[in-house]
Amino acid sequence: MNIITRELRSNLKSLLIWSGSLIAVIVMMLSEFSAYYNNPDMAQIMESMPKALMDAFSMSNANLTTVSGYVSITVVYVNLMLGIYAVLLGNSIIAKEERDKTAGFLMTMPVTRTKVLIGKITVAIFNCMIVLAVVIGSLYIFTLKYNPDQEFYRFLWLITITTGIFEAVFLSIGLFLASAVKRYKVSSGIGLGILFALYVLSVLVSLSNKIDFLKYATPFKYFEASKLLQNDSIEGQYLNLSLAWIVLFMFLTFRIYNSRDLRD
Amino acid sequence: MDIIEISNLTKYYGKVKGIENVSFNVKEGEIFGFIGPNGAGKSTTIRTLLGLIFPTSGSAKLFGKDCIEFGSDIRSAIGYLPSEVFYYEKMKVKDLLKYSASFYKKDCTKRINELSEIMELNLNRRIEDLSYGNKKKVGIVQGLLHEPKLIMLDEPTSGLDPLMQQKFFDIISEENKKGATVFFSSHILSEVQHLCNRVAIIKEGHVIKVEDIKTLREDNYKKVTIKGNSLDYVRLNFEGVSQLVKYDHSSSFFYKGDVKFLIEAVAEQEIQDILIEDPSLEEIFMHYYK
Repeated sequence: MNIITRELRSNLKSLLIWSGSLIAVIVMMLSEFSAYYNNPDMAQIMESMPKALMDAFSMSNANLTTVSGYVSITVVYVNLMLGIYAVLLGNSIIAKEERDKTAGFLMTMPVTRTKVLIGKITVAIFNCMIVLAVVIGSLYIFTLKYNPDQEFYRFLWLITITTGIFEAVFLSIGLFLASAVKRYKVSSGIGLGILFALYVLSVLVSLSNKIDFLKYATPFKYFEASKLLQNDSIEGQYLNLSLAWIVLFMFLTFRIYNSRDLRD
Repeated sequence: MDIIEISNLTKYYGKVKGIENVSFNVKEGEIFGFIGPNGAGKSTTIRTLLGLIFPTSGSAKLFGKDCIEFGSDIRSAIGYLPSEVFYYEKMKVKDLLKYSASFYKKDCTKRINELSEIMELNLNRRIEDLSYGNKKKVGIVQGLLHEPKLIMLDEPTSGLDPLMQQKFFDIISEENKKGATVFFSSHILSEVQHLCNRVAIIKEGHVIKVEDIKTLREDNYKKVTIKGNSLDYVRLNFEGVSQLVKYDHSSSFFYKGDVKFLIEAVAEQEIQDILIEDPSLEEIFMHYYK
């Protein structure tokens, strides 16, 4: 419990900064929407865009003149941001003890590394849920003036679940990297590198049918907002695949961290 | 009873040797010195005992329990002071000490206040604002606040002024009298000599000697340097002299034995100046522990 309180406090500042920034980004994104809302001219302009371009930005199936359609195209950027937050948090919450050389203090306390990890991961998950709640809450509040229908709220709920899972995947990747890569200075870079590589891969998969099988490799393809909107449900296979990634990376995190030397 | 039992402890960092086949025991109630030059493997040994790093082979038991398997259990009775202390920069001293205390299943408030008073530690400052010496004081209080049965000190006195060093040694002696076993590493022999009961000497990852401090005192080598224009080197080579080195108008040697005899022998020479000093640890390693 003491580790949890300590981590909550030490991560509070970054949590607030991220939350504030995310609210600002969402307000900006939604302010654009007023130009699209119930505007048939805009719909026409979008239709005249090249198909490949729309695919690349996963906008092909979106009707930008409705709240649901517009929000669906923002989801990929929201995911990108929350993914960055999660992978960096997962990495830093573990790696900082060695970076700041405080591991020599914390790990000489009468506490197992497993307990330290559990405390830290609990806080990381909690903070990820907070930023998720901030994002979804902002989407909810700042779309109120358009009186969205029931379908939108159902869609918002699906985004909440899927983005939460998406965050958890990248959080566990961040944790795993901090545990496996002894050079803490590079582990955050690798984390961000993986995140952006997977994003680029998801764009490439959208553009080409030949590499369709690679959709399983990138979480950006698991819960595409346009599909969620169309099907009104989450695809079970991707849900299981995500959970498998999370379990795998978490398992490796504990396994490796419990048996490796700590730097001084 | 042996508080520390180390048997054939070996640690390699990849291919780089840290320590090899280190074995020795520390008895309950002892103050045990662990001396060796920088890079000899002192910290490696201590960090292994604390479970910060894992041995390549061999094992160590503290309080009769394996230091890896029962690490967290064991550490509840250990107080550790590293050579350089690092804490959470943004925390206040008082919060850091409270956080540390929260890991032990007892109320440490009284002891925190006592120790902070002795060490003249300001509890309301932030860690990041503290000087090196003041951080060290926090380390001392943090390492001792739970009244540990085993105190492990890794080059403890660096950064403390002589007055604080004395206070620190007083606290350590007091804890020792109350029953705590003390294990401490140092590269300063004189620091070890007046505190310890026994010492282990480590060099290049190997323990080359475990000895009673009394024996070490008896083997008290002196390094003698004399200056004179017409030194009689034949008569200088009297009993107890080793490593006699001749220079143009001076000579240096190591002497082991009765100091009175040394003075008498040197007095026969026509000397202009004399310097008698304790050999440095390095010199002891070079000449004595070959």
